[in-house]
Amino acid sequence: MKSGISSIAATVTLCIGAYGASAQEEVAGGTTLYGDLQSVTQSMLTRAAGDGNNFLHTNGNYAQTRYYPASQINTSNVKNLRPAWVFQTEVVDTMETSPIVVNGIMYVTTAFNHVYALDARTGKQIWHHKHSMGPVTTYCCGPNNRGVAVAGDKVFFGTLDAKLVALDAKTGKQLWETQIAEPELGYSETMAPSVVEDMVLIGTNGGEYGIRGFVKAFDTETGEEKWTFHTVPEDSVGVWTTEDATGRNMHRDIEAEKAALAEQGDPYETLGGGVWQNPAVDLETRRLYFVVGNPSPDLDGSLRPGDNLYTDSLVSVDLDTGEYVCHLQYIAHDVWDLDAVSPPIITTVKDASGNDVKGVLHGGKTGHVYVHNADDCSLIRFSEAMVPQEDMWTLPTAEGARMLPGANGGVEWSPMAIDPNHRLSYAINLHQPMTYTVRSTPYPEGKLWLGGSFDVIPDEEQWGNVTAVDYDTGDIAWQVRTEQPMIGGILATAGGLVFTGEGNGLFKAYDSSNGGELWRFQAGAGVNAPPSSYTVEGQQYIVVAAGGNAQLNFKRGNNIIAFTLAD
Amino acid sequence: MRLPFVALTLSLAASPVLAMEDFVLEDEVALCMSCHGDAGVPIEPDYPVIWGQQYFYIYTQLRDYGAGRRQNDIMTPVAAEYDRDQAKLLAEHFAALAWPDIPAEIQDGDEQLAERGITGGQCSACHGKWQGDSRIPRLAGQQVGYLRKTMLDFKNEVRMNAPDKISTMKQLDEETIDALSRYLATIDIQ
Repeated sequence: MKSGISSIAATVTLCIGAYGASAQEEVAGGTTLYGDLQSVTQSMLTRAAGDGNNFLHTNGNYAQTRYYPASQINTSNVKNLRPAWVFQTEVVDTMETSPIVVNGIMYVTTAFNHVYALDARTGKQIWHHKHSMGPVTTYCCGPNNRGVAVAGDKVFFGTLDAKLVALDAKTGKQLWETQIAEPELGYSETMAPSVVEDMVLIGTNGGEYGIRGFVKAFDTETGEEKWTFHTVPEDSVGVWTTEDATGRNMHRDIEAEKAALAEQGDPYETLGGGVWQNPAVDLETRRLYFVVGNPSPDLDGSLRPGDNLYTDSLVSVDLDTGEYVCHLQYIAHDVWDLDAVSPPIITTVKDASGNDVKGVLHGGKTGHVYVHNADDCSLIRFSEAMVPQEDMWTLPTAEGARMLPGANGGVEWSPMAIDPNHRLSYAINLHQPMTYTVRSTPYPEGKLWLGGSFDVIPDEEQWGNVTAVDYDTGDIAWQVRTEQPMIGGILATAGGLVFTGEGNGLFKAYDSSNGGELWRFQAGAGVNAPPSSYTVEGQQYIVVAAGGNAQLNFKRGNNIIAFTLAD
Repeated sequence: MRLPFVALTLSLAASPVLAMEDFVLEDEVALCMSCHGDAGVPIEPDYPVIWGQQYFYIYTQLRDYGAGRRQNDIMTPVAAEYDRDQAKLLAEHFAALAWPDIPAEIQDGDEQLAERGITGGQCSACHGKWQGDSRIPRLAGQQVGYLRKTMLDFKNEVRMNAPDKISTMKQLDEETIDALSRYLATIDIQ
């Protein structure tokens, strides 16, 4: 039991959301539950983009569009949105979970790896699983967990002690667990896994600890490893590029790096390259697309000569084997931690000739939305900067050098959403002026290894924004400024809405076509998690966690709040 | 906190020198308590509370002392005697004890100064609500003198086994460090 965590778990059912008398009531400890807990078929997972009842993937569907197809809640009636219920978890701490909903059953996670199954109509707890944590956990940025994956009769999640765990969806009992990597060396898990057919896919945290990153596939039935893709190849040197993906000079000292390479050798074994957000899955081509995080140590390039492949990159691999297909590196030899973390989205985009092609979008910490050709990962275009960029790329110094964006972005890990009808992507951004300081120290054997620090400049104003980008042109279509830097995620719906929350507790709905604010709710703690939506018994809900954020020190809480239209 | 000993097959650095051949846990615990207190309250204000501290943090510090990554005239020679398993036994013992209640007082303006320092340094990203977890030490209720000394040792590049803290602490002035020390020492998470 962690100190400071409330031992009280309570379900508060509010007055809205009356259910028909015919609704089946759950029987505590019995077998009669609402919905069928053992029904997540591959067909359901594959067709999730058109499923207006469930929310089956962390980012909505395999393409990760976070575009929900139900429109009962829409621009004309969203003003009537009210809380249907509030569920309070046992853990009052940072929340980044994406609620998953299967046939009226909701699965959410908390900090320190608690998992709950709830009745999505009422918020009533069905079961609670608390992971039996090992003695070594690792997290750079809060004891986060971003949720579960569901398939068949199982629920899967990753843990801070670097395990992948499968639970019985009906009871919450553990079926198996697999040690993914050695936690003492800095490996840990905060991302939700993804499931495709008989594989559970998961990456790793640890870019701040000198790990060697990977994406692994495990057998859904046994937990046995099926394949591993190392995000850092044994030859991580690359082509010694001096420009970032947008063509700006990064002021690399290539001769010094080549000398260091000759002296030190390839740094691949401790080069970082975590993958801690879900891959987009293309079942048509049987390929995965994911983004790879920063090199280790974050700010000190002197110990890692070369481009540091495939850190700070979009990477595509074969779904069945994990073999490399293509990549595009946004920032070679990054010394600012302005890496690639927001999960990529597959959608149709215009290429440079104006033809529709299959594309991949990524919202960068740099503040650009990058638009790729899915076929070869090549960059078609990048958007206008969504946040101020100043003095890019000023190298970190011993005294600390100011440059914008700060190391959290732009777009942090927060997933973007799109509306394919408007051909717009929606991103939430941070503006946090920082200084970048370098301090070279040797590999500390699995301890924090930043190679310096990125420090918020206390006297400069911080803020955030919600930005819609036309991904066919790269132009900003609309932008709304927020009081605080934004972290958490966003959801678009067929009702012409986007939903996103703020660190000050506000949860808002905007008109997805023009950014007009249509609704707001004060949640009482930071709303810094991605919203989901679902429909039960004909009633559409929007649900989001309000637990604050450790990284940005937004007020912590423990609430899962579901909203529906007032009668 | 659950404290199983797991068989770690690691590629970490070699164990410090040699295992203490006549290691007796009770004797070593008594040695530790001669400074860190027989009821958990250290005998000097700038010695740390280790009763109820995080298991993996204690283990890591013993390893760092033993390997010379963290320097202290008393601790370095003591820890150099322990091998990996002996260090784990000691860490397990002290982590399982109850954190002592040590009175501390906050002054007007401390909280505001501390919050400003915490936000600038992004301290809560790792330290959370100061309760500690595994490799992250508990700071809540720690001795004011030890907290202050530790932050100043980072700032002045005396303590070198968490070098990334050096840059962070260099951003804080002594007034803020004093306020932060008092603030953390008075946080009650019992």
